[in-house]
Amino acid sequence: MIDSLCDQAEGKDVAVVWLYCDFLAQKEQSATSMLGAILKHLFSRGGIPEHVREAFQKAKEEFSGRGLLLPDLVEIVKKAVASLPRVFICIDALDESTQQCRRELLESLQEIVQVSANTRLFLTGRPHVGEDIIKCFSEVVRIHLTPTQDDIKSYLEMRLDEDIDPDMMDNELRADIMRVIPEKISEV
Amino acid sequence: MSSEHPQFTGNVGSFNNNSFNIVNFPTEIDAEGRQVLQWLSPLEPQQRHQGVRTDRLDGIGNWVLETNEFGKWSGAEDGCVEPVLFCYGNPGVGKTYLR
Repeated sequence: MIDSLCDQAEGKDVAVVWLYCDFLAQKEQSATSMLGAILKHLFSRGGIPEHVREAFQKAKEEFSGRGLLLPDLVEIVKKAVASLPRVFICIDALDESTQQCRRELLESLQEIVQVSANTRLFLTGRPHVGEDIIKCFSEVVRIHLTPTQDDIKSYLEMRLDEDIDPDMMDNELRADIMRVIPEKISEV
Repeated sequence: MSSEHPQFTGNVGSFNNNSFNIVNFPTEIDAEGRQVLQWLSPLEPQQRHQGVRTDRLDGIGNWVLETNEFGKWSGAEDGCVEPVLFCYGNPGVGKTYLR
């Protein structure tokens, strides 16, 4: 998905940034570190604005390098996206963030999207995070993800080709696997 | 900072090319710049994406890109559509990718 957006963006002045939430990294993942990562992504491609460098110097001198606060980050993101014709922000596995992080992150993104008609959000997660999203965004396009039969078959073919013990496999068994597993999955 | 943003896309390059490396900061970012980026966030989502891209199977899930929902969301002009696309599914269905 991200790569496809990037391909679409090629030749146009479009930025695609992404974040992955992770159960194992909940400690490091807060709304501030995630918004910071969005900025980091934008600036590592497009250059760091002078006002951000100044804020960094100030933090270093006056607050021994303390990070920015969430409202400051939101303002900087607003400015950064304003200079671009189109920005896609992709966040994967929202359900893997803590509820507090998710809430703060979504609220911040809502503030950003509200003033930036050029900014689109692509979010993924388990169905229940839909409720948190709706609290912040009244209009949401939804796609329900389930692997298609073709997806499952491609996947099985790859795994069978990688089989480390191919002597155990014959055409009949392979054909059985390819027939039975997609059937069983679609029954689920 | 309105005019100082160069083209993003020139840096993005072709993502179909496995040898493409997006993890390193471009060389034009100076030492202080690196410190600033590190200060903004310790997270490195580009690196995670590199892993996903290597492990993922090409073609799987591409049907999503062909849905009307995706087309409208990604292509329409500003302000014409809902800005948020939410893809949801149960654990293990391949929301991030299948491997």
